[in-house]
Amino acid sequence: MALLAANNLSVALTRGGSAFPAISDLSFQLEPGKILGLVGESGAGKSMIGRTIAQLLPSGFSVTGGTLDFAGEDLVTMAPEKRRRLLGRDIAFIPQEPLSALNPVLTIGQQMREHLARIGKTEPARWREHALAMFAAVHLPHGAELLDKYPHQLSGGMCQRVLIAMAFASRPRLLVADEPTTALDVTIQARIVKLIEEMRQHEDTAVVFITHDLRLAAQICDQVLVLYAGRPAEYGPARDVFARPAHPYSRCLQLASPGMGSERRGLFILPERMPGLQAIKTLTGCRFADRCPNVVAQCRTSEPPLAKVDGERVAACIRPEATAAIEPPPAAAHAKVTGETVLEASGVSKDFVTRRRLFRAPATFRAVDKADFVLRENEFVGIVGESGSGKSTLARLVVGLESPSQGRLTLLGRDVTANRTSERAFRREHLQIVFQDPQSALNPRRRVAGIVTQAMEAAGGGTGTERLERARALLDEIGLAPETALRYPSQLSGGQKQRVNIARALCALPRVLVADEIVSGLDVSVQAQLLDLLLRLRQERGFSMLFISHDLSVVRYLCDRVLVMYRGEIVESGPTETVFAAPSHAYTRALLASVPPDDADAAWNRDDGGDLALVERA
Amino acid sequence: MTLAAMPRWLRSGRVLIGLLILLFVVTCALFAPYLAPNDPNEQNLIATLLPPAWADGGDPAFPLGTDSLGRCVLSQLIYGARLALTVALIASFGAMIIGAVLAHVAGYFGGWVDWLIGRIVDIWLSFPPVILSLILMVGLGTGVQNVILAIVLVDWTRFCRVLRSEVIVVTRRDYVAAARLLGFSHWRTVTREIAPATFPLLITLLSLEMGVAVVVEAILSFVGMSVGADIPAWGQMVADARQNIYQAPWNLICPILAIFITVFGFNVLGDGLRRTLDPRLSQTERG
Ligand code: SF4
Repeated sequence: MALLAANNLSVALTRGGSAFPAISDLSFQLEPGKILGLVGESGAGKSMIGRTIAQLLPSGFSVTGGTLDFAGEDLVTMAPEKRRRLLGRDIAFIPQEPLSALNPVLTIGQQMREHLARIGKTEPARWREHALAMFAAVHLPHGAELLDKYPHQLSGGMCQRVLIAMAFASRPRLLVADEPTTALDVTIQARIVKLIEEMRQHEDTAVVFITHDLRLAAQICDQVLVLYAGRPAEYGPARDVFARPAHPYSRCLQLASPGMGSERRGLFILPERMPGLQAIKTLTGCRFADRCPNVVAQCRTSEPPLAKVDGERVAACIRPEATAAIEPPPAAAHAKVTGETVLEASGVSKDFVTRRRLFRAPATFRAVDKADFVLRENEFVGIVGESGSGKSTLARLVVGLESPSQGRLTLLGRDVTANRTSERAFRREHLQIVFQDPQSALNPRRRVAGIVTQAMEAAGGGTGTERLERARALLDEIGLAPETALRYPSQLSGGQKQRVNIARALCALPRVLVADEIVSGLDVSVQAQLLDLLLRLRQERGFSMLFISHDLSVVRYLCDRVLVMYRGEIVESGPTETVFAAPSHAYTRALLASVPPDDADAAWNRDDGGDLALVERA
Repeated sequence: MTLAAMPRWLRSGRVLIGLLILLFVVTCALFAPYLAPNDPNEQNLIATLLPPAWADGGDPAFPLGTDSLGRCVLSQLIYGARLALTVALIASFGAMIIGAVLAHVAGYFGGWVDWLIGRIVDIWLSFPPVILSLILMVGLGTGVQNVILAIVLVDWTRFCRVLRSEVIVVTRRDYVAAARLLGFSHWRTVTREIAPATFPLLITLLSLEMGVAVVVEAILSFVGMSVGADIPAWGQMVADARQNIYQAPWNLICPILAIFITVFGFNVLGDGLRRTLDPRLSQTERG
């Protein structure tokens, strides 16, 4: 019998007397020991399902129809008292936002103890032992020290693992994991996934795995449910969905994320955005119609029902047979770069003082160790590595937010190591950075026009109209409507914000751009748009870029050469294809092994990387 | 920025209540000569300690009665608002300017500048504020300008401490680094990128500080360290009414109520502004 079963479940937001459907017609069956993947982009409603299971719906949302049965009992109509007993014991959660799920004023140890006491599976006296064992299981180093720390003293990845340890400790019958690995490095992600798999093998735990990563879902899930705008688009055995997607949305998602397979292909660019709650309400016909490459007039007449495609698979599309015909555009070839060197680092190191000591030299920590690299004209160079590998510090050194402790940095033939005032002006003119988090990188109190033309403001030039004019031109170049100029950042979507972020850096026409994780955290369709934007801009105006990323497939798609960093050192460098096809350093191999393969039937050989001692620096 | 924020914070009930109360007090202060039924200083020795007009023996010419010297209580109250608001306004602006400038300098530059300013604030805060202001008053001598000076010297630390941590948070944002990398000078970075973000907190603190200033002024005029007897002050009214507390309780209750209502207005306004403008609160809403 299914442990968790949804039958025509629907959830709606009631506001101002009218109801907006957020989830409709959701049905699935999850057996013990199986993993169900919920896949879709942000706004598809995948987290809403997790919240429905926990009955933690945001205010205004409520279940408007159908049932959600856990072990034969409807969670929706169950007495709250009883449900509370189930949650945390029989149903465990790994939330998406680790920091908000931990209590900031209690130490990790206090929370662990409380949790273990509540689930009652440990004798109170032995909670410490149990907690440490759980920490070891999720590969959290220095468990004993962790117990005395507060959540804000840990990195996001460590908090996430604490929560995973808590979830595992209760040995639940059902585990709901909401993007549990998004904040983690790839090698740790591979481990967490392995832990989840072990748990379901040994304890017969059923898992609902919410993710935006179709490839990861294909590898670890038994079944996959692809959601689009709150409605199932496709549901079936994971390998079938991935190998032969029946719904155009599944196919587009797959083609929008850059591959790791042998042949490099172009990215499929999905136009526009997913309809929001308002739009869904007034929509007739297929919700995907506006973005679907296979759309025909008939698609817009009525909502296509979930119909059987083959075997156990269903898809909400009236012509699934046409889906296989959707092809990615051909790949843009990597540029053959032979131009002059624009940026050169030789023996660049950076030490940070960790502790000042009386009468002795201060204790230091070497974040970057003797980095050597060159960046040529029009070349995109990727820097990959995990958190703590020093890749972000290297970026900060290059842009002048930090000064190197040793070594030389040369920009366009001029030594800029010392970062004196005259060098700063020179650097500013030719080198700009695009920050990672557009939320933090754009001043929420300024209009877009003001933000993108900040370089003019700094130079003291430009009247209001001149700046507006320039802003419009820049926005046009990066593919935003000119009206955007008068908006505030909060009125833009994540992808639009990141475009504004790029436009600002490009305003002063720099020769070198440093981009720090600029596509992480974005939906794959938005990511694809941005990657192609960068390639197009390079063609149109010509610039070089240092592209820092933890996502190997993105680097493979975008960059001509790649540097692999591990513990502050550049351990391997070379043309992207060569490095990825024949990695020579053990760490590069481990890194590559932790990426789920493109081909769903290929075995994911993660154990290659498992033994490498990777200690996260707290 | 304010234009975009206007509707949201004006919709808050607290802000509206606070503004209404303060509007009332400000009107009294501005139009005191037209609103007051009598000259507040005119003594009328045949009509001392009159009860309010609605009580037995009340005189409609003195709506809230008279004090022991036969002065009109209502008129004194209305004129008293002038002093209270003047002190509140000037003193809190003074404290705000000193505190905010130091907070931005400390939070933005960090390092030893921050250390130095932080230590000064610590030393300042190690004195209990009431004691510190009394010591200052003894040193400075009486007079309303010295009351203002004392409040400024004592309370700038409130602004400095709270704002400094906010400045640090904002300074760490990437957009501040981006502005610097694009060539903004320190001055421009602080005024264009950081100060607008700390402004809501500043306004909130200012509103709360005005309430504090009203209380401090009342205390100091209660102990006779503020203005002379010829200028009506709420604190002084309280002090005068103590002798006749049983014969004329209204004389005591009226100024206390006036102080209470004014302080309440400032606090409710400040609280409402904090709730609607606090960037942290609105961020969690967004997330
Ligand atoms: S029904 Fe039509 S629009 Fe909808 S997914 Fe299928 S082909 Fe595309």
